[in-house]
Amino acid sequence: MTTLRITINGRPYGPMDVRDDLTMNDFLREYLGLTGTKFGCGAAQCLSCAVIVDNADGTSYTSPTCVVSAATFDGKAIRTVEGHAKNGELSVLQKAFIEHFAFQCGYCTPGFLNEGQVLLERLAKKPVARADLEKTIAEALDGHLCRCTGYVKYHQAVRDVILADPERYLARA
Amino acid sequence: MPNWEMPIKILALVAVLTGTPAVNAISDQADSLASPDSFAAIADTTARSAALFAELGKVLTHPRCVNCHPAGDRPRQGEEGRPHQPPVARGADGHGLPAMRCSICHQAGNFDPARVPGNPEWHLAPREMAWEGKTLAQICEQIKDPKRNGGRSLEELVHHIGTDSLVGWAWTPGVGRTPAPGTQQIAGALADAWVKTGAVCP
Repeated sequence: MTTLRITINGRPYGPMDVRDDLTMNDFLREYLGLTGTKFGCGAAQCLSCAVIVDNADGTSYTSPTCVVSAATFDGKAIRTVEGHAKNGELSVLQKAFIEHFAFQCGYCTPGFLNEGQVLLERLAKKPVARADLEKTIAEALDGHLCRCTGYVKYHQAVRDVILADPERYLARA
Repeated sequence: MPNWEMPIKILALVAVLTGTPAVNAISDQADSLASPDSFAAIADTTARSAALFAELGKVLTHPRCVNCHPAGDRPRQGEEGRPHQPPVARGADGHGLPAMRCSICHQAGNFDPARVPGNPEWHLAPREMAWEGKTLAQICEQIKDPKRNGGRSLEELVHHIGTDSLVGWAWTPGVGRTPAPGTQQIAGALADAWVKTGAVCP
């Protein structure tokens, strides 16, 4: 057993005793009822289960939850799909996903949303040249699987958010 | 058949013809590893050194080692060395691409419920240290070359094989994976004995 303390979407949870063989996905979904994080392949291949992990230095990254123990998240701060909207208003990226009809069934959407958000935050700290943008987006979303709309619309949605604020996300030529 | 098996058989034949039992000490079983002492009766230092490396080769060519010394940019997995799933690439530092770092899935230790192996230092060997598809003789020449062994001296190489934590994972790989033969301690001792006998390649 591990005594787990974790911050999720800005809210502290714990201390809670969790089994060491409990996956983070089961912890979120079954213990906390945060079912926005999906369980897909169970092998970190589809990444519908990905959440955002916030580092102390202000950087962030996504992590699958289906193959990682809850115990390894002790002391960490994460964000899930439930945390993107603020005061009932969807985030810019969420709105872009809707505008582009980026999803149909929506099962993969939490993972794409978290990955796209991490990319936006990364580019805000380290902008890329416009010429490198398509490749950068493709590489960021590369690990996520979608079986409804394909990948183009997610890609276009992320790109539109970036191009709408080039001063923030793109390096000056 | 890997090319290094033939020199071993030649050594065995020489041993039989000359009456020395030394080469019989080389373990025939892939899942075991003979200690350096087992080779003491091989009088010829060159032959003994080559035999020591051939024994060490059971470890170096084992899937637990080769899978992370791939010929390309994608690690291998499983006993048959199939391409890693999900698709991942080594990235600039061998620790994965920015959006898919090794450590995201591979945590500090094995997580057997999800069958994901782990170690704090989980990463790919540099491209120049690729072993996949090479004969043991080629690996031997490569492993002695600082340009292709991570800049290590032979003494540092012995230390790497014998004490490195990520190398040591090969003997505690978790559920569903065959450990490397023997122990890390024996592998380190074989490497040490090989170096002290001239680091001769088979």
